[in-house]
Amino acid sequence: MNYLLPERLERLAREYALGTLAGSARRRFERVLRNAPAAAKAVGAWQERLSGLAGAVPPMQPGDSVWRGLEERLFASPRAARRGPLQWLSGVLSVRALGGALAGALLCVALLRFQPGLIGLEPQSDTLPQSYVGLLVDAAGVPTVLASSKRHGTVMTVKLLQPVAIPAGSVAQLWALPKDGSAAFPVGVVPGAGSASVALADTSEKLFFNVSRLAVSIEAAPAKAGGKPSGDFVLSGHCVKLW
Amino acid sequence: MPSNEDLAALLPRVALGDRAAFEGVYRATCAHLLGVAFRILNSRERAEEVLQEAFMNVWHGAGGFDASVAGPMTWLINVVRNKAIDALRSGRAERASTSAFDEEALAVAADAMQQPQALLERSLATLRIRDCLGDLGAPQRQALALAYYRGMVHTEIAETLGAPLGTVKTWVRRGLDRLKACLDAAGLRADSLA
Repeated sequence: MNYLLPERLERLAREYALGTLAGSARRRFERVLRNAPAAAKAVGAWQERLSGLAGAVPPMQPGDSVWRGLEERLFASPRAARRGPLQWLSGVLSVRALGGALAGALLCVALLRFQPGLIGLEPQSDTLPQSYVGLLVDAAGVPTVLASSKRHGTVMTVKLLQPVAIPAGSVAQLWALPKDGSAAFPVGVVPGAGSASVALADTSEKLFFNVSRLAVSIEAAPAKAGGKPSGDFVLSGHCVKLW
Repeated sequence: MPSNEDLAALLPRVALGDRAAFEGVYRATCAHLLGVAFRILNSRERAEEVLQEAFMNVWHGAGGFDASVAGPMTWLINVVRNKAIDALRSGRAERASTSAFDEEALAVAADAMQQPQALLERSLATLRIRDCLGDLGAPQRQALALAYYRGMVHTEIAETLGAPLGTVKTWVRRGLDRLKACLDAAGLRADSLA
């Protein structure tokens, strides 16, 4: 059947837009729509006309679970911070972008490398030391910065999982975002690749106890205490307590 | 209701994976879109499921939004409506096969004729085309309202209104023709008021 004869197309487009086109005829027309701009245009015109009818529909505020579910399905769990350590790790590993076992290995290697006490000084314990850990992803959701510091330590170890482009004369500034929504405060400057140790202004416990997220913005110079991010964050992620 | 300009700026950013833009689109439109899904499904739980599925599509499919085909709010409404219509019809098929007693379906039936018509009248008044559509008979308006707000197909409308199938098809077609003529006469892009 030639769907693109003007009269037939008009009939199918308006029935599709209204919803009265049903069953296999609807599915067939959807396939046509994907490949025929003229059909998409005809449907779009009818959808525009009909969308005015939606104006009087009383709004209904969805429950929080709808957005939380979206975040979980698309960006991993925002509730990870409230779970135990093992569930937290499994939550991290379920991030699609991390890619399964490889990512698990990467995370373990990173943690062991920067927390040598795990295998050297604390041989009796199978658990990771109490730490704050952040995994920052870029706009595409690719894990980019792994940041960790011991709960009562004053140094944060930062590892770049992929390089970050930092324009000449600028720095990548790491910020901490308190969970109560108050202003972000600067933590330190991170390199564009490799790894670094960032000296903290206080112990992790004092700085990060109420922090739910970490983020990185590109700044002209390292931010001073009390400074604010000048632009959008290029990386961000949850900051969680590992205990 | 968010402005189409705001949404038109946000959707291309969503296509690039901007999560803040995605949340902006969600927060600005979720209440209106849940209302649309709820009218069709008559169940908050199912409507919320559909809303979530629709926004999964928005995240993955925002690159398919083409402002030259339809406005952003129109695009979002139709992502949700199509999901709701699919859910409604697959749910009906399941119910038919299990022939379970369904209080929800009865509730929809009881309310089927009144509410959609009231919504249609209010929308037409907002669009300032109520008078223009005034010469359209009550059955034509009812048929149009049941199809749009309830996601009913011709056979269901015929059953609800107790009219022959062929007659209902004509009513719906005339309703749409008249709507188009009135919108054209009013010089409105319906989307601008959605």
